[in-house]
Parts: sequence; structure tokens; C-alpha cells
Amino acid sequence: MADPLLEIDQVSKKPRGEQPAVTVKNLVKRYGSLLAVDDVSFSIKEGEIFGIIGPNGAGKTTTVECISGLRTPDSGSISVYGLSPQHDRDKIREFVGVQLQESSLPPRLRVGEALELFASFYPTPLDPQEMLESLGITQIERVAFKNLSGGQKQRLSIALALVGNPKIAILDELTTGLDPEARRDTWALIERMRERGVTVILVTHFMDEAETLCDRVALINRGALTVLDTPEAIAAKAGVNRVRFTPSQSVDDETLDAVDGVQVIERKGRYVTVTGTGDLAASLLNALAAKGIQVSELEARSGNLDDAFIKLTKDTTPIASEEVQV
Amino acid sequence: MTPNLSRVLGRRSRTRLAALLKVQAKLSLREPSALGVGVGLPAILLVVFGFISRAVPATVGDTGLNVIDLYIPVIMVISFIGIAISIPSTLVRDREIGWLRRISTTPVHPSQLLGAQLILDLGLAAVAIIIAIVGGTVIFGAPLTFDIPFFILSVVLGIAEIFSLGLVVVALVRTQSAAGIVGGVLFFVLLFLSGLWVQPDVVGGPLQVILLYSPSGAAVRALLYSVFGQTPPLTELAALIGYTLVFAFVAVRYFRWE
Repeated sequence: MADPLLEIDQVSKKPRGEQPAVTVKNLVKRYGSLLAVDDVSFSIKEGEIFGIIGPNGAGKTTTVECISGLRTPDSGSISVYGLSPQHDRDKIREFVGVQLQESSLPPRLRVGEALELFASFYPTPLDPQEMLESLGITQIERVAFKNLSGGQKQRLSIALALVGNPKIAILDELTTGLDPEARRDTWALIERMRERGVTVILVTHFMDEAETLCDRVALINRGALTVLDTPEAIAAKAGVNRVRFTPSQSVDDETLDAVDGVQVIERKGRYVTVTGTGDLAASLLNALAAKGIQVSELEARSGNLDDAFIKLTKDTTPIASEEVQV
Repeated sequence: MTPNLSRVLGRRSRTRLAALLKVQAKLSLREPSALGVGVGLPAILLVVFGFISRAVPATVGDTGLNVIDLYIPVIMVISFIGIAISIPSTLVRDREIGWLRRISTTPVHPSQLLGAQLILDLGLAAVAIIIAIVGGTVIFGAPLTFDIPFFILSVVLGIAEIFSLGLVVVALVRTQSAAGIVGGVLFFVLLFLSGLWVQPDVVGGPLQVILLYSPSGAAVRALLYSVFGQTPPLTELAALIGYTLVFAFVAVRYFRWE
């Protein structure tokens, strides 16, 4: 009989990035007549921090729950290090740590007890004490779950997902309910996991979080994968750059229109605002300099993931809603 | 599977079980409903009926036995009921708040948590049985003459039957508040049927039949015969086995971990 522990070891000996940690192919999941996930495919490299973003009810949680084996897909296939989350659930649970979006602990269970319990479930756990220290929650070790604040509950939930020393961590709504400082601390923790080579699947609706942490981001909207790329590339692709300036002398629309990437020109008082794509500010300055026009009060803002998110989720809304009704 | 690996896996599952037992035991002490109703209440009843027997030392009917002697089996069954009713109150909550689902993402299946809880509950039942027997014989002088094989059989069947009924509540009830209501009603119905307030010998007709062959009444009768060295009637034993099978089937059939 195959040795499950050995198999996992052999997997981990392969150099990073040689094989995908997770492959999702044509995933479909329905809840009754609602199509929650519609033909989603992607693969996640080992050691990558992979973001899944999308509006509420887009199918993000369903997708990761299929990966962790909590739900069974209606069709399509999922491979986690070559194993099926449905057929090899027991093996996968040994090295996949999961933080669930909505999950409480027994009210009187204490933080330290919960961590020690979960550590006992895994073959090579991390030290619960060190976990508490790295999350900055040693002072609540003896506090019962019901007496924790929202942020403390969230950090405990993350600690429980990581205490088993997983190769893959699935974190759903990681920093929801945390104050800004706690969010920064949590992000630092994820960065440390990256250094240790843990593959992280991060479900979030915070664009700044995805932008800060993720190597690549999948945007899921109405159950379908809208775009998959690095946060920068998504922002650049969909994003709109905006340049505002005061020209030293009047400049006509034709001059501006001739510049690469310019889409909209607006004038307000002495300001000219140009929106468009590409390296807008540099192209504009070159074109204006060639005409001998000086520029002052220059203000350039590049599109970020937030802009891209709003643009991309709005664009697909009418089409997707028709699909859902069918 | 190599012997080495099976040793490693065996050790790991023992470690897990030990950790689960430790946590469930601590939680049981902090939410001591099973301890209170399953061991405390029977201990109190033992003392109450014990002193009633001393104050009124007449025998019941022509049995030659007094009140405490006849109530020892009732007290045991009440402890089984108290413990069984506490199973849904924690397990339904653990399911409702997503704790069982959270456990199911780890290498441990939530059934192992249920298993640990049932082991602890069996321990509580054993403590209650010992209190009833030792207290009844040593303190109040009940003349128990066990038929050991039938006593063990009656205890095993009684616990299996009444714990299964507790698991039926877990299987069929979705919310913690509903589990509290259903459990509370069931508790008093079972207490009545066990003969705590009305013994089947003092009533006649259909009520007597109901008391004799009800889930808790049949368990009491089986224990009553076997603690006084007699073979329990086949009808009561058959009723016990039947109830156990039906309850266990319903519990398994409708059980949900999420």
C-alpha cells in the first residue's frame, strides 16, 4: 500500500515552481438553480500568494471550498499536488490549512487550548506558543473564545489555519473585522509565510490587500473568471490613468488627441485633465515639450486594482445576470 | 502498510484522541449540565429516597423490598437520561456555530470529536451507576443480589438505547434553542416513563403497559430484575433491543455534520 506520508514528502522535495500546487479545470458548482461557479479554470504555483477577488456572492468562497474538499463540484476537476480534494480528502487535509469565513469555536474553549488541540491533529505542527507570539496574542492564551474581540477571533482563526504547518493555506476573508494595525500585522504574517514557501490562497474583497500581498489575482464575477494576472497588470489593463496639469499657453485638443493612449480631455479653469491608458504623463510631457509648452502643477494618478475591480465587475454585469436567469 | 507506518499512525490517532478527550473533558466541566443532571441529580434522588425508606421502613406490596431498593434502577436510568439529554445541547451548538465544519477541514473527522464525547459520557454513566450501587447498598442497606451477566446486558442496552435517543435529537434538530426545548420536554417525559413519580405496579390498564414498555420504563424493568438476581422478562429485553435499533437507525440515517 502506498505510504501517504512518504508521498507528501516526495512532493515537497521537488523544486519550487516546477509543478502547480493547485490546478482547477472547468469547475462548475450549482446550488439548486443558482450557478455559483461557472466554468472556472486556473492553476496556482507552489509558493505563490494567489488572490481571489470579486463582489459579494461572486463564487469566491464556493471555489476555495471545492479546493479544500468541503464541497463537491458538479463538474470539472481539481488537483491539489496531484490529489483530488474529493477522493483523497484525508491526505489533503494533512497539508492544507483552512480558515473559514464563518466559523466559531465552543464559547468556553480557550485560545491556547484550541491551538494545542489543532496542533495535535497534524504530523509536524508549529509550536502553539510561537504562533501566539508571532500573532501578538500571547496575552489572550487563557481567554475563552466567547470573551474575544472580533479582531482576536480573526487572529485565532488564522493561527488555527497555520498551526498545522500547512503547505497550502486557504484564507477566506482574512482581515475582515480587523482594525488597520491588526491588518498590517496580519499582512506581515502572510509575508513570513511566503518566505517559508507556503502557498497561500487568499479570498478577499479588499483591493489594497490583494495589491499588497498577492503575486497573482483571479477576479471572479458572477461565478465566472473575469481576469487572472498580477495586480499591476490587471490595474494597467483595465485601469485608467489620469493626468492633470496647467499648460504655460493654451493647447488645442488636436495636439493632445495625437498623444498615444489619450481617451478623454477635460478642461476646468486653468487645468487640463487627460485620462487614458499607457504611460500617459511621459507621452504628454514629450508632446507638449516638442511644441514648446511648459507644464506646471502636474498631478498624475495611475489606476489601481480598485479602479480595475470596479471597471471589470461593472462591464460584465449585464451579460452575467442574463446567464444566471437562464 | 509497513509496520512502522501503522505504528506511527496508531500513535498519532491515540495522540489526537487524548487531545480531544482532554478538551471535551475541560468543556464538560465548564458547562456541567451532563455532570449536574447525569450524576448530581441521581445522587440527590438516592439520598432523598434513602431517607424516605428509613423514615417509612415498610415494604412495598409483598415484595419484601422498601422504597430505596426499588428506586435504585430508576436512579441509574435517570442518570442515563440526564447525560443523553446533554449530548444534543453541546453537539447541536457545535454544529450550528460551524465548529464541526471547522474540525472537518483538519485531518480529524468530527465523528472523532463525537466519539471522545461519548467516551466521557460513558465514564459519567459508570460513575453514576457506582454511586447508585455503593450508596444504595452501603449507606441505605439495599439487599442487591446481582445477576451479573444480565445486569451488564441491561446496563449496556439501557445506555445504548437512551444515548441513541439523544443522538436522534442531534440528528433531527437544527438549532441550539430548539435542541434545548426538545431536550427539556424529552427529559421530563422519559423521567415520568421511568416510574420516578408513578410506579407501574400502582396503576393499571394502558398506563401500566406504557410505563412497562416505554423506552425508559423497559430499561428500568430490565435493571430491576437483574439487580435482584433474576432474569429480566424477554418482552422488556426485546423492547429495549427494538428501541435501540430504531433510535440508532434514525440517528445514523438523518445525522448531519454541517
